[in-house]
Amino acid sequence: MRTALHSEHNHVPGATRVTPGTAIAVRDLWFAYRDAAPILRGVTFDAYAGEVTMILGESGGGKTTLLRILKGLVTPLRGEVEILGNPLKRGRMGRLDPRVAYIPQQLGLIRSQSVLTNVLTGALARTGTLRSLFGLMPAGHTREAEAILRTLGIGEKAALPVQTLSGGERQRVAIARSLMQHPTVILADEFVSQLDVVTSREIMTLARSVADQGVALVMTTHELDLAREFADRVIVLRDGAVAVDSPAREVDEAALVRAIRG
Amino acid sequence: MNLRLPPVRPGKLAMLGVSGALLAVLWHLGLADGPLLARGARNIGVFAQDLVPPDTSVLQTVAGAMVETIEIAFAGTMLGFAGALPLALAANDTVSGRPVAAAVRTFLALVRTIPALLWAIVFVVAVGLGAGAGVLGLAMYSMGYMGKLFADAFDDIDPEVVEAVRGVGVGRLQLARFAILPEAANAVLAQTLFVFEYNVRASSILGFVGAGGIGFYLLGYVQSLQYDALMMAILVTFAAVVVIDQASVRIRRRFLSVASHTSARS
Repeated sequence: MRTALHSEHNHVPGATRVTPGTAIAVRDLWFAYRDAAPILRGVTFDAYAGEVTMILGESGGGKTTLLRILKGLVTPLRGEVEILGNPLKRGRMGRLDPRVAYIPQQLGLIRSQSVLTNVLTGALARTGTLRSLFGLMPAGHTREAEAILRTLGIGEKAALPVQTLSGGERQRVAIARSLMQHPTVILADEFVSQLDVVTSREIMTLARSVADQGVALVMTTHELDLAREFADRVIVLRDGAVAVDSPAREVDEAALVRAIRG
Repeated sequence: MNLRLPPVRPGKLAMLGVSGALLAVLWHLGLADGPLLARGARNIGVFAQDLVPPDTSVLQTVAGAMVETIEIAFAGTMLGFAGALPLALAANDTVSGRPVAAAVRTFLALVRTIPALLWAIVFVVAVGLGAGAGVLGLAMYSMGYMGKLFADAFDDIDPEVVEAVRGVGVGRLQLARFAILPEAANAVLAQTLFVFEYNVRASSILGFVGAGGIGFYLLGYVQSLQYDALMMAILVTFAAVVVIDQASVRIRRRFLSVASHTSARS
Protein backbone atom coordinates (compact mmCIF):
# COMPACT_ATOMS: atom_id res chain seq x y z
CA MET A 1 0.00 0.00 0.00
CA ARG A 2 2.30 2.73 -1.19
CA THR A 3 -0.26 4.59 -3.17
CA ALA A 4 -1.45 7.51 -1.10
CA LEU A 5 1.11 10.14 -1.94
CA HIS A 6 3.75 8.18 -3.70
CA SER A 7 4.39 10.17 -6.83
CA GLU A 8 6.02 13.36 -8.03
CA HIS A 9 2.55 14.77 -8.52
CA ASN A 10 1.62 14.13 -4.91
CA HIS A 11 4.76 15.51 -3.33
CA VAL A 12 4.09 16.26 0.32
CA PRO A 13 4.89 19.92 0.96
CA GLY A 14 7.63 20.17 3.54
CA ALA A 15 9.09 16.74 2.88
CA THR A 16 12.77 17.26 2.15
CA ARG A 17 14.16 15.70 -0.98
CA VAL A 18 17.44 14.22 0.16
CA THR A 19 20.05 12.47 -1.89
CA PRO A 20 19.76 8.75 -1.17
CA GLY A 21 22.22 7.68 1.48
CA THR A 22 22.75 7.82 5.20
CA ALA A 23 20.50 10.45 6.76
CA ILE A 24 21.32 9.69 10.37
CA ALA A 25 24.34 7.82 11.63
CA VAL A 26 24.36 6.53 15.20
CA ARG A 27 27.70 5.43 16.59
CA ASP A 28 28.42 3.59 19.85
CA LEU A 29 25.69 5.19 21.97
CA TRP A 30 25.76 4.41 25.66
CA PHE A 31 23.23 5.67 28.15
CA ALA A 32 22.31 5.01 31.79
CA TYR A 33 20.02 6.77 34.20
CA ARG A 34 21.81 7.81 37.37
CA ASP A 35 23.25 4.90 39.36
CA ALA A 36 21.43 2.36 37.19
CA ALA A 37 22.79 -0.20 34.78
CA PRO A 38 23.19 1.10 31.19
CA ILE A 39 20.03 0.77 29.14
CA LEU A 40 21.84 1.47 25.87
CA ARG A 41 25.12 -0.32 25.25
CA GLY A 42 27.07 0.72 22.21
CA VAL A 43 24.09 1.19 19.88
CA THR A 44 25.27 1.68 16.31
CA PHE A 45 23.17 1.87 13.16
CA ASP A 46 22.42 3.98 10.09
CA ALA A 47 19.02 5.14 8.87
CA TYR A 48 18.68 6.04 5.24
CA ALA A 49 16.91 8.78 3.36
CA GLY A 50 13.68 7.55 1.83
CA GLU A 51 13.41 4.55 4.15
CA VAL A 52 11.27 3.55 7.09
CA THR A 53 13.46 2.17 9.87
CA MET A 54 11.56 0.47 12.66
CA ILE A 55 13.13 -0.12 16.05
CA LEU A 56 11.70 -3.09 17.88
CA GLY A 57 12.28 -4.33 21.39
CA GLU A 58 10.59 -5.15 24.65
CA SER A 59 8.97 -2.44 26.77
CA GLY A 60 11.52 -0.63 28.91
CA GLY A 61 14.27 -1.69 26.53
CA GLY A 62 15.48 1.84 25.80
CA LYS A 63 13.64 2.54 22.52
CA THR A 64 12.14 5.84 23.69
CA THR A 65 15.41 6.89 25.31
CA LEU A 66 17.20 6.17 22.04
CA LEU A 67 14.83 8.43 20.10
CA ARG A 68 15.18 11.19 22.71
CA ILE A 69 18.96 10.99 22.36
CA LEU A 70 18.67 11.18 18.57
CA LYS A 71 16.54 14.32 19.01
CA GLY A 72 19.09 15.82 21.39
CA LEU A 73 16.71 15.91 24.35
CA VAL A 74 18.96 13.57 26.33
CA THR A 75 22.73 13.49 26.35
CA PRO A 76 24.31 10.05 26.02
CA LEU A 77 27.16 8.91 28.24
CA ARG A 78 29.13 8.22 25.11
CA GLY A 79 28.68 8.07 21.37
CA GLU A 80 27.85 10.25 18.40
CA VAL A 81 24.86 11.09 16.26
CA GLU A 82 25.38 12.63 12.83
CA ILE A 83 22.77 14.11 10.51
CA LEU A 84 23.89 14.11 6.88
CA GLY A 85 27.46 13.83 8.10
CA ASN A 86 27.31 16.71 10.58
CA PRO A 87 27.09 16.32 14.35
CA LEU A 88 23.64 16.69 15.86
CA LYS A 89 23.22 19.98 17.70
CA ARG A 90 22.67 19.03 21.30
CA GLY A 91 22.26 20.88 24.58
CA ARG A 92 19.64 21.26 27.24
CA MET A 93 19.19 24.98 26.94
CA GLY A 94 20.30 25.46 23.36
CA ARG A 95 18.08 25.24 20.33
CA LEU A 96 17.71 21.72 19.03
CA ASP A 97 18.40 20.70 15.45
CA PRO A 98 15.22 21.32 13.41
CA ARG A 99 16.37 18.91 10.71
CA VAL A 100 15.34 16.14 13.09
CA ALA A 101 11.60 16.15 13.73
CA TYR A 102 10.33 14.33 16.80
CA ILE A 103 6.84 12.97 17.40
CA PRO A 104 6.50 11.70 20.98
CA GLN A 105 4.19 8.85 21.88
CA GLN A 106 1.33 11.14 22.98
CA LEU A 107 2.17 13.45 20.05
CA GLY A 108 2.93 16.51 22.18
CA LEU A 109 0.26 18.66 20.53
CA ILE A 110 -1.06 21.77 22.25
CA ARG A 111 -4.62 20.64 22.83
CA SER A 112 -6.28 24.00 23.37
CA GLN A 113 -4.78 25.47 20.20
CA SER A 114 -6.02 25.15 16.64
CA VAL A 115 -4.73 22.60 14.19
CA LEU A 116 -3.13 25.38 12.12
CA THR A 117 -1.36 26.91 15.13
CA ASN A 118 0.03 23.51 16.07
CA VAL A 119 1.28 22.93 12.54
CA LEU A 120 2.81 26.41 12.33
CA THR A 121 4.76 25.60 15.49
CA GLY A 122 6.88 23.38 13.26
CA ALA A 123 8.17 26.45 11.41
CA LEU A 124 9.20 28.41 14.50
CA ALA A 125 12.91 27.70 14.03
CA ARG A 126 12.82 29.63 10.75
CA THR A 127 10.57 32.43 12.07
CA GLY A 128 12.03 35.48 13.77
CA THR A 129 11.66 35.24 17.55
CA LEU A 130 10.11 38.68 18.07
CA ARG A 131 7.74 38.22 15.16
CA SER A 132 6.58 34.83 16.36
CA LEU A 133 6.10 36.07 19.94
CA PHE A 134 3.52 38.52 18.63
CA GLY A 135 1.89 35.76 16.61
CA LEU A 136 2.91 37.34 13.30
CA MET A 137 3.68 34.22 11.32
CA PRO A 138 4.83 34.81 7.71
CA ALA A 139 2.01 34.36 5.21
CA GLY A 140 4.18 31.90 3.30
CA HIS A 141 4.36 29.64 6.35
CA THR A 142 0.59 29.73 6.75
CA ARG A 143 0.08 28.85 3.08
CA GLU A 144 2.58 26.01 3.40
CA ALA A 145 0.88 24.68 6.56
CA GLU A 146 -2.51 24.79 4.88
CA ALA A 147 -1.14 22.97 1.85
CA ILE A 148 0.33 20.23 4.05
CA LEU A 149 -2.96 19.86 5.91
CA ARG A 150 -4.85 19.56 2.62
CA THR A 151 -2.40 16.95 1.39
CA LEU A 152 -2.80 14.98 4.59
CA GLY A 153 -6.59 15.11 4.21
CA ILE A 154 -7.46 17.44 7.09
CA GLY A 155 -7.42 20.80 5.34
CA GLU A 156 -10.95 21.55 6.48
CA LYS A 157 -9.98 21.04 10.14
CA ALA A 158 -7.35 23.79 10.22
CA ALA A 159 -9.34 26.14 12.46
CA LEU A 160 -10.52 23.51 14.95
CA PRO A 161 -8.90 23.00 18.36
CA VAL A 162 -6.82 19.84 18.43
CA GLN A 163 -8.81 18.50 21.38
CA THR A 164 -11.85 18.08 19.11
CA LEU A 165 -10.07 15.78 16.64
CA SER A 166 -10.06 11.99 16.48
CA GLY A 167 -6.89 10.00 17.22
CA GLY A 168 -6.09 9.52 13.54
CA GLU A 169 -6.60 13.19 12.77
CA ARG A 170 -4.27 14.19 15.61
CA GLN A 171 -1.68 11.83 14.21
CA ARG A 172 -1.94 13.70 10.89
CA VAL A 173 -1.51 17.03 12.70
CA ALA A 174 1.67 15.69 14.31
CA ILE A 175 2.96 14.61 10.89
CA ALA A 176 2.09 18.02 9.46
CA ARG A 177 3.94 19.81 12.27
CA SER A 178 7.01 17.67 11.67
CA LEU A 179 6.87 18.37 7.91
CA MET A 180 6.87 22.12 8.61
CA GLN A 181 10.39 21.57 9.96
CA HIS A 182 11.55 20.49 6.47
CA PRO A 183 13.08 17.48 8.19
CA THR A 184 15.84 15.18 7.08
CA VAL A 185 14.78 12.67 9.72
CA ILE A 186 11.46 12.12 11.47
CA LEU A 187 11.60 10.25 14.77
CA ALA A 188 8.27 8.78 15.88
CA ASP A 189 7.80 7.00 19.18
CA GLU A 190 5.20 4.19 19.20
CA PHE A 191 3.54 6.23 16.52
CA VAL A 192 0.32 4.33 15.92
CA SER A 193 0.17 2.18 19.03
CA GLN A 194 -3.03 3.78 20.29
CA LEU A 195 -5.00 3.63 17.04
CA ASP A 196 -7.35 0.99 15.73
CA VAL A 197 -6.06 -1.34 13.03
CA VAL A 198 -7.65 0.46 10.07
CA THR A 199 -6.58 3.94 11.16
CA SER A 200 -3.08 2.81 12.03
CA ARG A 201 -2.71 1.37 8.49
CA GLU A 202 -3.95 4.64 7.00
CA ILE A 203 -1.49 6.65 9.04
CA MET A 204 1.37 4.30 8.28
CA THR A 205 0.56 4.52 4.56
CA LEU A 206 0.80 8.28 4.89
CA ALA A 207 4.07 8.02 6.82
CA ARG A 208 5.37 5.67 4.17
CA SER A 209 4.56 8.28 1.52
CA VAL A 210 6.48 10.92 3.43
CA ALA A 211 9.49 8.60 3.65
CA ASP A 212 9.22 7.83 -0.04
CA GLN A 213 9.85 11.49 -0.75
CA GLY A 214 13.28 11.37 0.82
CA VAL A 215 12.82 11.65 4.56
CA ALA A 216 14.38 9.06 6.85
CA LEU A 217 11.57 7.87 9.11
CA VAL A 218 12.77 6.19 12.29
CA MET A 219 10.05 4.82 14.49
CA THR A 220 9.77 2.57 17.48
CA THR A 221 7.05 -0.03 17.62
CA HIS A 222 6.17 -3.29 19.28
CA GLU A 223 3.86 -4.35 16.44
CA LEU A 224 5.57 -6.91 14.25
CA ASP A 225 2.79 -6.76 11.66
CA LEU A 226 3.48 -3.10 11.03
CA ALA A 227 7.18 -3.76 10.79
CA ARG A 228 6.66 -6.49 8.22
CA GLU A 229 4.25 -4.38 6.19
CA PHE A 230 5.87 -0.97 6.23
CA ALA A 231 9.52 -1.17 7.32
CA ASP A 232 12.45 -1.06 4.93
CA ARG A 233 14.83 -1.79 7.75
CA VAL A 234 14.35 -3.32 11.19
CA ILE A 235 16.52 -2.89 14.22
CA VAL A 236 15.96 -4.99 17.32
CA LEU A 237 17.22 -3.73 20.65
CA ARG A 238 17.83 -6.38 23.27
CA ASP A 239 19.49 -5.71 26.61
CA GLY A 240 20.39 -2.26 25.33
CA ALA A 241 22.34 -3.48 22.33
CA VAL A 242 21.49 -3.94 18.66
CA ALA A 243 20.55 -7.61 18.23
CA VAL A 244 19.31 -7.28 14.63
CA ASP A 245 20.03 -4.61 12.03
CA SER A 246 18.75 -5.83 8.72
CA PRO A 247 16.68 -4.98 5.68
CA ALA A 248 13.12 -5.96 6.62
CA ARG A 249 12.70 -8.35 3.73
CA GLU A 250 15.69 -10.40 4.85
CA VAL A 251 14.37 -11.31 8.27
CA ASP A 252 11.25 -13.35 9.04
CA GLU A 253 8.83 -12.88 11.92
CA ALA A 254 10.07 -15.86 13.88
CA ALA A 255 13.61 -14.54 13.77
CA LEU A 256 12.40 -11.15 14.98
CA VAL A 257 10.51 -12.72 17.90
CA ARG A 258 13.59 -14.73 18.85
CA ALA A 259 15.74 -11.61 18.66
CA ILE A 260 13.35 -9.58 20.79
CA ARG A 261 12.85 -12.23 23.47
CA GLY A 262 16.36 -13.62 23.42
CA MET B 1 -3.23 -13.34 88.61
CA ASN B 2 -1.61 -11.50 85.76
CA LEU B 3 -3.78 -8.76 84.31
CA ARG B 4 -2.91 -7.94 80.75
CA LEU B 5 -3.88 -4.38 79.89
CA PRO B 6 -4.95 -3.78 76.32
CA PRO B 7 -2.10 -2.17 74.37
CA VAL B 8 -2.37 1.59 73.97
CA ARG B 9 -2.59 2.38 70.29
CA PRO B 10 -0.27 5.04 68.92
CA GLY B 11 -3.31 7.05 67.71
CA LYS B 12 -4.68 7.37 71.25
CA LEU B 13 -1.27 8.34 72.59
CA ALA B 14 -0.98 11.02 69.95
CA MET B 15 -4.44 12.39 70.82
CA LEU B 16 -3.55 12.50 74.52
CA GLY B 17 -0.29 14.24 73.70
CA VAL B 18 -1.98 16.84 71.48
CA SER B 19 -4.71 17.51 74.09
CA GLY B 20 -2.07 17.96 76.80
CA ALA B 21 -0.08 20.30 74.60
CA LEU B 22 -3.21 22.35 73.83
CA LEU B 23 -4.05 22.75 77.53
CA ALA B 24 -0.48 23.78 78.31
CA VAL B 25 -0.47 26.35 75.49
CA LEU B 26 -3.86 27.79 76.55
CA TRP B 27 -2.58 28.12 80.12
CA HIS B 28 0.61 29.75 78.89
CA LEU B 29 -1.41 32.23 76.82
CA GLY B 30 -3.65 33.09 79.79
CA LEU B 31 -6.80 31.47 78.42
CA ALA B 32 -7.06 28.75 81.06
CA ASP B 33 -8.61 31.34 83.35
CA GLY B 34 -12.25 30.65 84.33
CA PRO B 35 -13.17 34.16 85.63
CA LEU B 36 -11.60 35.76 82.56
CA LEU B 37 -13.63 33.55 80.22
CA ALA B 38 -16.85 34.26 82.16
CA ARG B 39 -16.22 38.01 81.94
CA GLY B 40 -15.46 37.66 78.24
CA ALA B 41 -18.72 35.82 77.62
CA ARG B 42 -20.70 38.61 79.35
CA ASN B 43 -18.91 41.26 77.26
CA ILE B 44 -19.62 39.33 74.07
CA GLY B 45 -23.30 39.28 75.03
CA VAL B 46 -23.35 43.07 75.48
CA PHE B 47 -21.43 43.53 72.24
CA ALA B 48 -23.87 41.28 70.37
CA GLN B 49 -26.84 43.27 71.69
CA ASP B 50 -25.29 46.51 70.46
CA LEU B 51 -24.72 45.08 66.97
CA VAL B 52 -28.42 44.94 66.18
CA PRO B 53 -30.24 46.46 64.53
CA PRO B 54 -27.64 47.45 61.94
CA ASP B 55 -27.37 51.20 61.33
CA THR B 56 -28.75 51.66 57.81
CA SER B 57 -27.79 55.33 57.78
CA VAL B 58 -24.18 54.35 57.02
CA LEU B 59 -25.13 52.03 54.17
CA GLN B 60 -24.16 54.45 51.41
CA THR B 61 -20.81 55.20 53.07
CA VAL B 62 -19.85 51.56 53.63
CA ALA B 63 -21.13 50.50 50.20
CA GLY B 64 -18.88 53.14 48.63
CA ALA B 65 -15.97 51.90 50.74
CA MET B 66 -16.73 48.33 49.68
CA VAL B 67 -16.57 49.36 46.02
CA GLU B 68 -13.17 50.90 46.73
CA THR B 69 -12.14 47.65 48.47
CA ILE B 70 -13.08 45.63 45.39
CA GLU B 71 -11.22 48.11 43.19
CA ILE B 72 -8.13 47.72 45.38
CA ALA B 73 -8.43 43.93 45.13
CA PHE B 74 -8.87 44.05 41.36
CA ALA B 75 -6.00 46.45 40.72
CA GLY B 76 -3.75 44.62 43.19
CA THR B 77 -4.51 41.27 41.56
CA MET B 78 -3.91 42.55 38.04
CA LEU B 79 -0.65 44.31 38.91
CA GLY B 80 0.43 41.20 40.83
CA PHE B 81 -0.46 39.09 37.78
CA ALA B 82 1.64 41.32 35.52
CA GLY B 83 4.65 40.76 37.78
CA ALA B 84 3.94 37.10 38.54
CA LEU B 85 3.68 35.80 34.98
CA PRO B 86 7.19 36.70 33.77
CA LEU B 87 8.67 35.74 37.14
CA ALA B 88 6.92 32.34 37.04
CA LEU B 89 8.33 31.74 33.55
CA ALA B 90 11.76 32.73 34.82
CA ALA B 91 11.25 30.22 37.65
CA ASN B 92 10.88 27.40 35.13
CA ASP B 93 13.97 25.22 34.70
CA THR B 94 13.45 24.68 30.98
CA VAL B 95 12.90 28.35 30.18
CA SER B 96 15.68 29.93 32.19
CA GLY B 97 17.95 27.14 33.43
CA ARG B 98 18.26 25.76 36.94
CA PRO B 99 20.40 28.45 38.63
CA VAL B 100 18.20 31.35 37.48
CA ALA B 101 15.00 29.38 38.20
CA ALA B 102 16.19 28.59 41.72
CA ALA B 103 17.08 32.26 42.37
CA VAL B 104 13.67 33.46 41.12
CA ARG B 105 11.85 30.87 43.24
CA THR B 106 13.78 32.06 46.30
CA PHE B 107 12.82 35.67 45.50
CA LEU B 108 9.15 34.70 45.16
CA ALA B 109 9.28 32.86 48.50
CA LEU B 110 10.79 35.95 50.09
CA VAL B 111 8.06 38.23 48.72
CA ARG B 112 5.40 35.75 49.89
CA THR B 113 6.82 35.60 53.39
CA ILE B 114 5.72 39.18 54.05
CA PRO B 115 1.94 39.35 54.55
CA ALA B 116 -0.20 41.72 52.49
CA LEU B 117 -0.89 43.89 55.55
CA LEU B 118 2.81 44.41 56.15
CA TRP B 119 3.38 45.24 52.48
CA ALA B 120 0.55 47.77 52.82
CA ILE B 121 2.31 49.39 55.79
CA VAL B 122 5.52 49.56 53.74
CA PHE B 123 3.67 51.35 50.93
CA VAL B 124 1.79 53.66 53.33
CA VAL B 125 5.26 54.77 54.43
CA ALA B 126 6.42 55.00 50.81
CA VAL B 127 3.47 56.66 49.06
CA GLY B 128 1.30 57.87 51.92
CA LEU B 129 -2.15 56.96 53.23
CA GLY B 130 -4.89 55.82 50.89
CA ALA B 131 -5.97 53.21 48.38
CA GLY B 132 -2.75 53.53 46.37
CA ALA B 133 -0.76 51.99 49.21
CA GLY B 134 -3.35 49.20 49.46
CA VAL B 135 -3.12 48.42 45.76
CA LEU B 136 0.69 48.31 45.80
CA GLY B 137 0.80 46.23 48.99
CA LEU B 138 -1.68 43.73 47.64
CA ALA B 139 0.12 43.66 44.27
CA MET B 140 3.41 42.71 45.93
CA TYR B 141 1.89 39.90 47.96
CA SER B 142 -0.16 38.68 44.98
CA MET B 143 2.95 38.67 42.81
CA GLY B 144 4.73 36.36 45.25
CA TYR B 145 1.71 34.13 45.69
CA MET B 146 0.67 33.92 42.04
CA GLY B 147 4.29 33.59 40.96
CA LYS B 148 4.52 30.41 43.01
CA LEU B 149 1.14 29.08 41.79
CA PHE B 150 1.94 29.80 38.14
CA ALA B 151 5.43 28.32 38.41
CA ASP B 152 3.92 25.12 39.81
CA ALA B 153 1.34 25.07 37.00
CA PHE B 154 4.13 25.46 34.42
CA ASP B 155 6.03 22.58 36.02
CA ASP B 156 2.93 20.39 35.84
CA ILE B 157 2.26 20.63 32.11
CA ASP B 158 2.70 17.58 29.93
CA PRO B 159 6.48 17.21 29.41
CA GLU B 160 5.86 15.69 25.96
CA VAL B 161 4.37 18.99 24.77
CA VAL B 162 7.46 20.86 25.94
CA GLU B 163 9.75 18.30 24.33
CA ALA B 164 7.80 18.27 21.07
CA VAL B 165 7.93 22.07 20.78
CA ARG B 166 11.59 22.20 21.86
CA GLY B 167 12.19 19.59 19.19
CA VAL B 168 11.26 21.97 16.38
CA GLY B 169 14.27 24.09 17.34
CA VAL B 170 12.63 26.98 19.19
CA GLY B 171 14.29 29.43 21.56
CA ARG B 172 13.30 29.78 25.20
CA LEU B 173 10.88 32.65 24.71
CA GLN B 174 9.18 30.83 21.85
CA LEU B 175 8.93 27.73 24.04
CA ALA B 176 7.20 29.78 26.73
CA ARG B 177 4.88 31.46 24.23
CA PHE B 178 3.94 28.40 22.18
CA ALA B 179 4.04 25.50 24.65
CA ILE B 180 4.06 26.52 28.30
CA LEU B 181 1.58 29.41 28.33
CA PRO B 182 -1.11 27.82 26.14
CA GLU B 183 -0.89 24.53 28.02
CA ALA B 184 -1.15 26.20 31.44
CA ALA B 185 -3.63 28.93 30.41
CA ASN B 186 -6.65 27.42 32.13
CA ALA B 187 -4.79 26.83 35.38
CA VAL B 188 -3.38 30.38 35.29
CA LEU B 189 -6.83 31.89 34.78
CA ALA B 190 -8.38 29.77 37.53
CA GLN B 191 -5.62 30.67 39.97
CA THR B 192 -5.86 34.37 39.15
CA LEU B 193 -9.56 34.29 39.97
CA PHE B 194 -8.81 32.45 43.21
CA VAL B 195 -6.27 35.11 44.19
CA PHE B 196 -8.74 37.91 43.33
CA GLU B 197 -11.29 36.19 45.56
CA TYR B 198 -8.71 36.01 48.35
CA ASN B 199 -7.67 39.62 47.77
CA VAL B 200 -11.23 40.92 48.20
CA ARG B 201 -11.17 39.46 51.73
CA ALA B 202 -7.60 40.63 52.37
CA SER B 203 -8.27 44.16 51.16
CA SER B 204 -11.16 44.46 53.63
CA ILE B 205 -8.65 44.96 56.42
CA LEU B 206 -6.06 47.05 54.59
CA GLY B 207 -7.84 50.14 55.89
CA PHE B 208 -6.69 49.16 59.40
CA VAL B 209 -3.29 50.52 58.43
CA GLY B 210 -4.58 53.44 56.37
CA ALA B 211 -4.34 51.70 53.01
CA GLY B 212 -7.90 52.39 51.86
CA GLY B 213 -11.10 50.43 51.57
CA ILE B 214 -13.77 49.39 54.05
CA GLY B 215 -11.23 48.44 56.71
CA PHE B 216 -10.89 52.10 57.63
CA TYR B 217 -14.58 52.18 58.59
CA LEU B 218 -14.52 48.77 60.31
CA LEU B 219 -11.73 49.97 62.59
CA GLY B 220 -13.28 53.41 63.08
CA TYR B 221 -16.66 51.98 64.14
CA VAL B 222 -14.96 49.61 66.61
CA GLN B 223 -12.87 52.40 68.12
CA SER B 224 -15.87 54.75 68.43
CA LEU B 225 -18.06 51.95 69.83
CA GLN B 226 -20.57 52.35 66.95
CA TYR B 227 -21.34 48.63 66.89
CA ASP B 228 -24.59 49.01 64.92
CA ALA B 229 -22.70 50.81 62.15
CA LEU B 230 -20.00 48.13 62.40
CA MET B 231 -22.70 45.51 61.84
CA MET B 232 -23.82 47.30 58.66
CA ALA B 233 -20.24 47.36 57.38
CA ILE B 234 -19.83 43.64 58.22
CA LEU B 235 -23.06 42.78 56.39
CA VAL B 236 -21.99 44.71 53.28
CA THR B 237 -18.57 43.04 53.36
CA PHE B 238 -20.18 39.64 53.83
CA ALA B 239 -22.58 40.16 50.91
CA ALA B 240 -19.81 41.33 48.58
CA VAL B 241 -17.48 38.48 49.55
CA VAL B 242 -20.21 35.85 49.10
CA VAL B 243 -21.23 37.17 45.67
CA ILE B 244 -17.62 37.37 44.45
CA ASP B 245 -16.75 33.96 45.94
CA GLN B 246 -19.68 32.29 44.21
CA ALA B 247 -19.02 33.94 40.86
CA SER B 248 -15.34 33.12 41.09
CA VAL B 249 -15.95 29.49 42.07
CA ARG B 250 -18.27 29.00 39.10
CA ILE B 251 -15.87 30.57 36.62
CA ARG B 252 -12.90 28.64 38.06
CA ARG B 253 -14.81 25.37 37.87
CA ARG B 254 -15.52 26.06 34.24
CA PHE B 255 -11.84 26.66 33.45
CA LEU B 256 -10.68 23.67 35.46
CA SER B 257 -13.28 21.37 33.91
CA VAL B 258 -12.13 22.49 30.46
CA ALA B 259 -8.54 21.76 31.52
CA SER B 260 -9.32 18.30 32.90
CA HIS B 261 -11.56 17.54 29.90
CA THR B 262 -8.76 18.29 27.48
CA SER B 263 -6.28 16.25 29.53
CA ALA B 264 -8.65 13.32 29.63
CA ARG B 265 -9.04 13.37 25.87
CA SER B 266 -5.35 13.43 25.13
